[in-house]
Amino acid sequence: MDSLNPSLSASDPKAALMKQVQQEAAINNARQLISKMNSHCFEKCIPTPGSSLSSREEKCFTTCMEKYMAAWNTVSRQYIGRIQKTAGGGAGSGGDMGEFGI
Amino acid sequence: MDQRQAQVDIDRLSDRDKRDLQQSINNEMQKAKIQESVHELTDICWTKCVTGAISSSGLDRKEEPCVRNCVERFLDANEAVLKHLSVMRGQGGV
Repeated sequence: MDSLNPSLSASDPKAALMKQVQQEAAINNARQLISKMNSHCFEKCIPTPGSSLSSREEKCFTTCMEKYMAAWNTVSRQYIGRIQKTAGGGAGSGGDMGEFGI
Repeated sequence: MDQRQAQVDIDRLSDRDKRDLQQSINNEMQKAKIQESVHELTDICWTKCVTGAISSSGLDRKEEPCVRNCVERFLDANEAVLKHLSVMRGQGGV
């Protein structure tokens, strides 16, 4: 990818700036997902915290994380579909909100 | 350091580049706002729809339509609130 080109910033400051903005947005998005996922899955998987994380709890956590991402993607699709309907259909490049997954 | 680098770069941009950049940043901000809403909706609809123990990594046959309905009805409710508020304003408020 062109991000590996060290001279990019010098030769194309516009692209470099945009890349930085996009990276920060992506980090922010991921951070928010992680925070919500952590609290919801903690609620679900660790009702009574013991002295260490059991293997069952850990298994529950990974399953829960995948499920939360599936929920996020479903909500994203539904929400964007709704926005596009309200906007009168032809608006923008919808669905390009990114998907979470493994 | 990064800040200064960016400053120098901006000064070197043409007006057209600056306009393009502004446009791209506006797009990015709109995307961020939508993602923000998706986070909020996922939070609400997870609590509503994923009520049992976690057994599968995907949404099951009940959860999936529940989440989709949850999104639609939440937005309906939001619209209803706004609509009623405008009616109240028309009546001279509360």
